[in-house]
Amino acid sequence: MGIISLKHTDQLYWLGRYSERVYTTLKLFAEKYDSMIDLNEAEYEDFCKKQDIPNIYSSSEDFAKRYCFDENDTNSIISNLTRAYDNAVVLREEIGSTTLSYIQLAVYAMNKAKLSEAPLLELQHVRDNIVAFWGIVDDSIDDEHVRSIIKLGKRIERVDLFARMHMDRSELKREILKLNRRIDRTGLTYSAKRMAHINYLIEEDDLNYKELVGEIEALLL
Amino acid sequence: MKRLNFRYHLEIDFDIPVKEHRFTLKCIPYSNSVQQVESLKYNIVPNYFLCRTKDSFENESIYGSCDKEHNVFSVDVWGNLKTGLSEKIEMRTSYEADIYKYQTEHTKPGEELKKYSEELKKGYKKQFVKEDILKKAIFYMHRLYEDYTYESGITEITTTAEEAFKIGKGVCQDYSHILIALLRMERIPCRYVTGMMLGEGYSHAWIELCDGNFWIAIDPTNDLIVKDCHIRIAVGRDYKDCMINQGVFIGCGREAKQRQDISVTVEEIK
Amino acid sequence: MYTKNLCIYSDSVNELLARYGVKFGIYKDNTFHEQLFPFDMIPRVISAEEFAYIERGLKQRIKALNLFIEDIYHNKRIIHDKIIPEEFVYAGSGYLAQCEGVSPPRGIYTHIAGIDLVQAKDGTWYILEDNLRIPSGASYPMIARDLCRKCSPQTFRDNHLEDNRNYAKLLRKTFDYVNTEGHTVILTPGRYNAAYFEHSYLAEQTGAHLVNGHELTVEDDKLYFVDFSGKKERVGVVYRRISDEYLDPMNFKEESLIGIPHIYDVYRKGNVALINAPGNGVADDKGIYYFVPKMINYYLGEEAVLKNAPTYLPYYQEDLEYVLMHFDDLVIKDVAEAGGYGVFFGNKLENKAKESFKELIKAEPRRFIAQEVIDFRDIDIMEHGEFVPRKADLRAFVLMAEEPMVWKSGLTRFSRNPDSFIVNSSQGGGFKDTWVLSR
Repeated sequence: MGIISLKHTDQLYWLGRYSERVYTTLKLFAEKYDSMIDLNEAEYEDFCKKQDIPNIYSSSEDFAKRYCFDENDTNSIISNLTRAYDNAVVLREEIGSTTLSYIQLAVYAMNKAKLSEAPLLELQHVRDNIVAFWGIVDDSIDDEHVRSIIKLGKRIERVDLFARMHMDRSELKREILKLNRRIDRTGLTYSAKRMAHINYLIEEDDLNYKELVGEIEALLL
Repeated sequence: MKRLNFRYHLEIDFDIPVKEHRFTLKCIPYSNSVQQVESLKYNIVPNYFLCRTKDSFENESIYGSCDKEHNVFSVDVWGNLKTGLSEKIEMRTSYEADIYKYQTEHTKPGEELKKYSEELKKGYKKQFVKEDILKKAIFYMHRLYEDYTYESGITEITTTAEEAFKIGKGVCQDYSHILIALLRMERIPCRYVTGMMLGEGYSHAWIELCDGNFWIAIDPTNDLIVKDCHIRIAVGRDYKDCMINQGVFIGCGREAKQRQDISVTVEEIK
Repeated sequence: MYTKNLCIYSDSVNELLARYGVKFGIYKDNTFHEQLFPFDMIPRVISAEEFAYIERGLKQRIKALNLFIEDIYHNKRIIHDKIIPEEFVYAGSGYLAQCEGVSPPRGIYTHIAGIDLVQAKDGTWYILEDNLRIPSGASYPMIARDLCRKCSPQTFRDNHLEDNRNYAKLLRKTFDYVNTEGHTVILTPGRYNAAYFEHSYLAEQTGAHLVNGHELTVEDDKLYFVDFSGKKERVGVVYRRISDEYLDPMNFKEESLIGIPHIYDVYRKGNVALINAPGNGVADDKGIYYFVPKMINYYLGEEAVLKNAPTYLPYYQEDLEYVLMHFDDLVIKDVAEAGGYGVFFGNKLENKAKESFKELIKAEPRRFIAQEVIDFRDIDIMEHGEFVPRKADLRAFVLMAEEPMVWKSGLTRFSRNPDSFIVNSSQGGGFKDTWVLSR
């Protein structure tokens, strides 16, 4: 195992989190985008509430545009992708140029989607590149430590997002199980007590999503 | 020749706790042809590690760190020396003086000093027929002593020679920088010296100029040739090369206000 | 033609360069932008024989420059033997008094040098500038070659050339030779530096750790890298891509936030190698450039293999008169400026500006050098599918381990503007691969 600085550990973790945030919010966005066409125009309001982001959007169209592409909106997908890129670009020697290139490609695809008349088609490329990024992380990063930290970030972010969106227990449970398997392989320090509590919460009859989000956010020390 | 006992005390109080403090101290007198250190002790608190080194001007330095939070940092150095063993300091190498011919950021003359230099040159020519480096330096020193006023609290440590001269008042650092600027305008190698002086409660500064293969020390603040009342600590191109205490704080602490207190006692041992 | 097959892939290669983030940073109106470095597919081709001659000249030059720096910070023979006037040394921007008497590990000051050359119309190569401080640019042809080979394997089957992707190996050799027992790190000022891509790419290619100043710490005369768990690992080599002044707030610029306090004290004691050695800028000052052929003669007893561009020093009365008389034929350079700034073509100045410039030279002769304008041999570039000639230079890289090693390639930079002689990337130039034929 090579030596990794605290800063790089942090950047690997957030690279994992932001890449996941972009991927899953894009997926959720695509679903909402569809139903907002003719079913429920105001669905984005509920989306913002659950995501705990301010609803600054004036209409479903405004939401579709700004939530995806407004760089000045700190909660937009493009802002999150920029954060993923900011963490990735300083990790070239840790993750490799090839791995880094998929984040770079996602950025290019995002910029292209922004200019497109049919953004959803182009946004698919953003998702494709992130999936490829995760694939290459598994395939080409030999250092287990490095790999695990990225994946831990991804897992934590996913549980967090799923809990916020009140996903089905079964889906959430699956993700928490994966998180349990990953966390000890990172060498990072976390609260075993909170991890146990998360495992308890998911089994409770009355699933307390809010508490779950709180616990997951405070898991790492 | 004299035997002197000295005690140097530096205390820095920070208004907010600082940590990850890195420091370099040039506060240790060393033996050469004019002075001989008989005993020397120092105490630096707090510290995490301390290392001894010599800088490129051959000054004894101590560097180190203290990572833990602290509000006070203190340095004590004490010991005995024989001073005035010779009138001149031998050069270590034949080229040692080269770098001291050139002005630095702090000694670089402006219009005022250039004018003053012309005036002094004329004055010297009127009085002396022959060029003599030492005579000239002493002549300039006398004139500066007459034309410049000692007053503390007017200039700061970052004040340049030109600025200090324009103000017309200053302390030993300013006297030294101005005289250095004047001599270097004529490519006379000279350097800044920090140290202590008998009967003076604070650290002191003067200059050394190169004449032939020797350095000769003169003290423009007191208008005299240094003999056995001065204890020499460090030399450099200007005050910056021989700052007694230099510190930085990594991360936090850069905004901390500090109050620095220095007290020096130098007494003759009879 | 060597490259017909290659040129059709221009767009693909530039796309791949974008994919791998081959960029340089630039500040415009105080905000940071990443820009792609335009790559032109037509390589500069140098024959094996011609390159052998260049290599001989570069090795000689680097040996002499290294001896010069050592001499300046120790015995100063070259000054006392009156080969170089002392004010060119001590009043130059690259001289650092803090380096007096300090000896770097294995006596090497110029581990990585980027020497800029141009070829005149008659085929003569001239040295334009020695960059000894933190020369950059090797990563660009290195990665471009890799991508070109992917696009057109046939081109590289048909042409026999030296593989330039060994740069990382040469660099590693350079690091290992001076290592004082410990890890190798590349010290970057951060991602907002113009050459950040290169820092990170070279770290990846050499297996070094890319760090910033806060990740290194000094303790008990040694330098350490602190890992995420707080464990300290000894560092033996720092390939630092930050300038001398910002390296150590305790020994150089106090206000430096990117430096490492006391790293210079560790270096002084021989416990870490700094690449390149602090203070080596004393030898790449534009004023010192004039004296390099004399230096070669003085230290090595040889005639310089590679010529300087004909240069005049207004410092010498005779040269000053020449400069004032032939002002229109000369290019004047301010010795304190770099990166293509502070360069003035005599014939391009208006009369009034010309006269005041002449006065300035008279007042501050030490500040300027003047050179004959070399009639560059133009190189073709592709523009909208057509070949057009442009000015170009060549930055050759010389690395020093036990012996100097010349990288069998180089960064060819060209000016995209047909009238310009300025090829710097910061001023909108592009780059080419440099092929050295192997037979």
